[in-house]
Amino acid sequence: MVRRRLLLRIELKSDPQVLCGVRGAISPIAGAIGFKEEDCRAITLALDEAITNVIRHAYGGKPGRRIEIELSKLNGAKQEQAGLEILLFDRGVKPKPDSFKGLPPGELRSGGLGLHFMRQSMDKVVHTRVGSTNRLRMVKFIR
Amino acid sequence: MQISARRLENKTIFDVVGDIDLANSPAVRKALLAEIKEKKIPCVIMNLEGVKYIDSSGIASLVEGLKASRDAHARFILFGLSKSAREVLQLSRLLNLFEIYDNEEQALSNERA
Repeated sequence: MVRRRLLLRIELKSDPQVLCGVRGAISPIAGAIGFKEEDCRAITLALDEAITNVIRHAYGGKPGRRIEIELSKLNGAKQEQAGLEILLFDRGVKPKPDSFKGLPPGELRSGGLGLHFMRQSMDKVVHTRVGSTNRLRMVKFIR
Repeated sequence: MQISARRLENKTIFDVVGDIDLANSPAVRKALLAEIKEKKIPCVIMNLEGVKYIDSSGIASLVEGLKASRDAHARFILFGLSKSAREVLQLSRLLNLFEIYDNEEQALSNERA
């Protein structure tokens, strides 16, 4: 059984200016849990991209909307179950099914990279919609 | 983030300092497109030595610059990528589409790193 211990719960506004502060907070937390430097960068990128997607797509660039983030440490009976869980909640528009396709990278285009980065950086990336709330769960395990 | 331009004969070098994310990537895009499309500078060089972090919106701005330079038959060069910036470009699988050098000297002498 995997145990989940809440480390941090924060509420942000949908303003791009908050991104640098979140990046500054997440990397030391990931490092303290036991992630290597490279994995700390990957987690930072995934969270930055997730918040960017909420600001741009769920809230359509409108400032002042609420984004909630929970960071939890995961511990399991097995070492490979130890890791970090990130939950993001917003009350923006429901994502279109096409937005989860994650366009194939490598083509010279300027959109669609965010989800690809999140999937490449984390072990699990799951979007769900509960009522009027979008919930994103991302997990990375310590290796 | 700060972005400033140095103009050398037929080249423009943009010195960028700070993170490139959703908050400031529009400024990077605007500066690049003005130089390539409006001023029609034949070679635009991005000094990224001072950029420790770049996200997908920053990569998108660089892609816009590359597209515009191809349309204008101009050159678009990057140099001084940090480990983090290089990782993100690799993750995007766009690394090989850009002309990239280690430092300004190499970029100006056009020696591929």
